[in-house]
Amino acid sequence: MDYPDKMTPVERATAKAKGEPIDRIACNPNIGNGMARIAGYKISQFNTDPEALADAIIKTYRRFGSDGARVFTDLFLISEAMGAKINMPYDNTADLEEPAINDMSEFDKLKVVNPYTDGRIPVHLRALEIVRDEIASEVGVTASVVGPFTNAFFLIGVEKMTKMLLKDPESVHKLCEISLQSCIALTDAVLEKGTGVTVSEPLSSCTVVSPKHFREFSAPYLKRLIDHIKARTGKLVIHICGKTDPIWEDLVDMGVDVLSIDDIADLENCAETVGDRMVIAGNVDPSGVLYAGSREDVRKATLKCIKQGIKAKKGYMIMSGCSLPVEVPVENIDAMMDAAREAGWPITGEKLDYLLSIDKYKD
Amino acid sequence: MSELKERLIQELSDSVVEMDEEKTEELSKKYVENGFDAFEGITEGLADGMNRAGVLYEEGEYFIPELLVCSDAMYLGLDILKPHLKYADSDSKFKAVVGVVEGDTHDIGKNLFKIMLETQGFEVYDLGRDVPPVEFVKKAKEINADVVGLSTLMTTTMDNMKVVIDLLKEEGMREKTIVMVGGGPISQSFADKIGADGYAPEASKSARIAKELVTKLKN
Repeated sequence: MDYPDKMTPVERATAKAKGEPIDRIACNPNIGNGMARIAGYKISQFNTDPEALADAIIKTYRRFGSDGARVFTDLFLISEAMGAKINMPYDNTADLEEPAINDMSEFDKLKVVNPYTDGRIPVHLRALEIVRDEIASEVGVTASVVGPFTNAFFLIGVEKMTKMLLKDPESVHKLCEISLQSCIALTDAVLEKGTGVTVSEPLSSCTVVSPKHFREFSAPYLKRLIDHIKARTGKLVIHICGKTDPIWEDLVDMGVDVLSIDDIADLENCAETVGDRMVIAGNVDPSGVLYAGSREDVRKATLKCIKQGIKAKKGYMIMSGCSLPVEVPVENIDAMMDAAREAGWPITGEKLDYLLSIDKYKD
Repeated sequence: MSELKERLIQELSDSVVEMDEEKTEELSKKYVENGFDAFEGITEGLADGMNRAGVLYEEGEYFIPELLVCSDAMYLGLDILKPHLKYADSDSKFKAVVGVVEGDTHDIGKNLFKIMLETQGFEVYDLGRDVPPVEFVKKAKEINADVVGLSTLMTTTMDNMKVVIDLLKEEGMREKTIVMVGGGPISQSFADKIGADGYAPEASKSARIAKELVTKLKN
């Protein structure tokens, strides 16, 4: 460690939960496959080599001291294990090439995943064990489970599923049900390792579907996944991309403990309206600021987020609005972490206003 | 304009907004059978409906599924009306090349941008998904494109947009080509940083901006 933190993320979180003093506000830059750049791997290595995946996650955590270490490479872990074809570039993030089935006549081809044998799931589970053994005493370790609704899109194709919401609701429910069963199978395998779960449910975003469709097609399955997770770990972190304000209350009602929001969403409004019932995380702009901005831009954006986020009575964690682009400048990630250290603890409005009024970096 | 024609045009627009594919098909046939001008049927009827759907999207009344079904309805109508178009002013038509940049296969945004460009009178060449940067430049050169539209949904592939812009510069085509970028992770500051001409958070607005920029460039 060459950063000045006085507590490990676990010590920080524990003290915070007890209401004891902490060294600084929690911050997780949400580095996705950029970990390959930091640890010197090619992204495709993460598809087959659990040691490489784990090593990259551990090195990335140690480099920045971020409050969270997540085993995550892309959104297609479950859909691939259910038969979708995934395009896996040599050094870029994997993407959906062909869905698992072409239409509902092939529905019977879909099988609930066996997390110990199917697709890349065993690679992720093994990496999770390594990461857990190495750093779980210092930092919260989680595996990523894609939400049942989002995963269902990858089973039949994004555009087809999108239209089915209006034209064939019955089939959407069938897809979401089997999708949920696979999500639960993966969740159980993860929880067996004694780590946490974070749920990513990007296509539930109101940038994509209406709140009405969210309530009809996504919420029932997401709620069952949340209940399943909470019955075992008691805590649930979820990230939804894009616009989410119309469904914040729904997420509270479902029992979400930590909501991570995109930079499109209004952090201050979120903290004020539902921050008394959920911890809010977010939402430093990953592309405009962290990728394209200067260090000073990152510092100011982070401090502004803190100013808005601390209005959440249940708590606030600095995070980027979404996973960072692979080529995000490393010094910008440092600038984000350092802004959290600069803000320190306790944080007051006056202190933030002062920090915002001065420039730290001269570039 | 005859009363029947006026009514049919209005109903074409309405049936697109209301996502009624069957009705759009039926109305389009009726419109053609009456020998009415196909161009007006498309621009004032079908495309107008799609424009209204775009506005509803911007206002948060419609979402992606609704827009896609509206566009299905519009395309059904277009297929019927298009063969009856008289291409009198096709010489002055603006041309655009659109595609999803390499590494990304999500194309909903690109498809919407394409439709919206068409409703603005563009002739659009769609290169599809996962398009290598050099292909954009090759096609743009070949057809003498006014606009190159680049789309992505993933933060991981944004960098390829800059590669396209640099290639256009190398080929000496940057000055006469408007570059539009869009997609989930794209923002105005990102567009500025990579030197794109235009960006808008929504496809419908983006197409309007593209037309304005081309018109300005040509004058």
